Amino acid sequence: MIRSIAWKNIWRNKKRSLVVITAVTLGIIAGVLLVGIMQGWVEQRMHDAVYNEVSHVQIHNKGYIDNEEIDLTVQDIDLIEKELNSIPGITAWVKRTKVIAMASTPWANSGVVIYGINPDAEKRVTEIHKRIVTAGGSYPDSQKSGEILISDKTAEILKLKQYNVTDKVIETLREEGVPSAIISKLDSLRNVRFRSPVDFTEELHKRLNSKELDKYGMLIMDKALDYRIRNKIQVTLADSSGTPVQGTFRVCGIFKTNNTGFDQVSVFVNSEELSGILSTNKPLIHEIAILLDNIEDADAVKEKLAAVNGNNAVQTWKELAPDAALMNDYMVLYYFIFIGIIMLALAFGIINTMLMAILERTRELGMLMAIGMNRKRVFSMIMLETIFLTSVGAVVGMAAGWAITSILGKTGIHFSGWGEGFEAMGYSARVFPVITPDFFVFVTVMVIATAIIASLWPARKALKLNPVEALRTD
Amino acid sequence: MKILELKNVHKIYNSTEVKVHAVNNVTLDFMEAEFAAIVGPSGSGKTTLLNLIGGLDMPTSGEIIINGTDLSKLKPSQLIDFRLHNIGFVFQSYNLIPVLTAKENVEFIMAMQKWSRQAREERTFELLKAVGLEERINSRPSKLSGGQQQRVAVARALASKPKFILADEPTANLDSKAAAILLEIMEKLNHEEKITFIFSTHDPRVVKMAHRVITLEDGRVVSDDVREA
Repeated sequence: MIRSIAWKNIWRNKKRSLVVITAVTLGIIAGVLLVGIMQGWVEQRMHDAVYNEVSHVQIHNKGYIDNEEIDLTVQDIDLIEKELNSIPGITAWVKRTKVIAMASTPWANSGVVIYGINPDAEKRVTEIHKRIVTAGGSYPDSQKSGEILISDKTAEILKLKQYNVTDKVIETLREEGVPSAIISKLDSLRNVRFRSPVDFTEELHKRLNSKELDKYGMLIMDKALDYRIRNKIQVTLADSSGTPVQGTFRVCGIFKTNNTGFDQVSVFVNSEELSGILSTNKPLIHEIAILLDNIEDADAVKEKLAAVNGNNAVQTWKELAPDAALMNDYMVLYYFIFIGIIMLALAFGIINTMLMAILERTRELGMLMAIGMNRKRVFSMIMLETIFLTSVGAVVGMAAGWAITSILGKTGIHFSGWGEGFEAMGYSARVFPVITPDFFVFVTVMVIATAIIASLWPARKALKLNPVEALRTD
Repeated sequence: MKILELKNVHKIYNSTEVKVHAVNNVTLDFMEAEFAAIVGPSGSGKTTLLNLIGGLDMPTSGEIIINGTDLSKLKPSQLIDFRLHNIGFVFQSYNLIPVLTAKENVEFIMAMQKWSRQAREERTFELLKAVGLEERINSRPSKLSGGQQQRVAVARALASKPKFILADEPTANLDSKAAAILLEIMEKLNHEEKITFIFSTHDPRVVKMAHRVITLEDGRVVSDDVREA
């Protein structure tokens, strides 16, 4: 009966209750979206860290961690391979040569880390092969020699990324529906090569107004972009005796991940060819990257592999990508902060509404106490009323938040203006919000806790009423 | 059988400047199935006396014993529970719960006493029939006239089978026809259910129907007339 009265009481003053319910609904939608975006970024960063950069577990020579010398290779490779083949739950693993080098083109040079890989085996551990950009060539072929895979960022640094408004580009822009007036403004740029996106953008700004740039700028940049695939890159590195050696590769493909920092330094070549440059009989193994069926097994696998040889350092993804691990570990704290702030703000509105409701019902509460409703029941009624009032908004808010997040989870939200900043930190400019059932359980607990806390003051006010005085109230 | 005793009851309100002796040395006994009216001019202490009898207020001195229980010996929580099980209240302004139907208003006290659903429903129907509202059991107070609301209030007061019912000017807000119907119902229930009714009233119709009339003046009992039932 108390439940029934509490529920009916919230609809006594529909307008007032609907204001609170709407506020709670909007607050929860905002919370769901904020947390969804945050969770989306965390999951994207986690995925990229594991599937593009560090895998679940890596093995290096202990000395290599502090000093990336070419001769500090992984110890007891045969034993490790045997162990890797016997541990259950390992999806795939690869061996890599990893050396620091200087990459040069006739126009620029840059320090890079060369990964000597087996391109086919690597596909089982990383997703770099899925990150080849449009018109960016192809992933290295194990059967072909002299190929190098570089990133979009490295291409930009080495001036292998250029913008050129060719006749073909003009034709494509026309097909895409770009007006002739704009195309005629691009005439003076025809067949002029720009080796920097900044230079090309500046030229576009001189010719097009901001409205035209907003509408067609990205399209023109996209179509005019031309990677110099098959161009030669010379790499200079030191062999095990410290003598500089050189090799020449042709760019076979351009990749782009969401982490500019990783992209800027990582280039991939066939490990056999790298071995040839370094004059070693077989590829040097500086890194073994292991992908697991279940990320939770990382610590257990680490323990087993660490036992093989004490001179090797076995590290899990948490140690190799601490930023991603930190974000993942603190996600519950973010939930608490976001939803906590929202619920704290809403609590004041809820308290105000409930205090008004108590004030309006002073005589009725006096009557209830007079006829025998004890303090526990009065408290329960007011608390339930507050919980119902808050929960209605919370349920609607969670449903609407879930629906919006589901749609945005498919389409993504593009923070194009801040793209470079996000990518510098390893986060994609386009985020796909994600909401887990855990979060809804968390919100439900927070909503109920807020309602209980918000009900304390109004309930105390009601409990302090003197029935005789309350009954005299008009 | 004696169900209520007041022994030398005083109630003094201490305001900052003057002491108000609202109830002054009242000693009264009430028997089972009495139909008693407490009358007197405004400020004579009728409502205060009713509040003391109902355990809503505590006397400054003296004893109020209901069915052998001294109210002053009860803790506040015990007093609320005691009221729930022993005393029925009818208020001047009906004071029904507006969000509940007539049936739910009557059931409410029985629900607090943890009656079974079936027993509650049977008793509710019986009482609403007794007050002539069996056709309006699902109406909310806002859909009932003042007289009908007060009849629901009487049914609610009777629901828990209390020892007695305290009615504070129950006919004050009713027209003469509604008041007459209500009084007839209360007298009939008093007779059938053997429940004591104690009214505070100015209404001469109530006084006329009462079997006992207690007159208060300045907080003192100045007369206590028992009539033939």
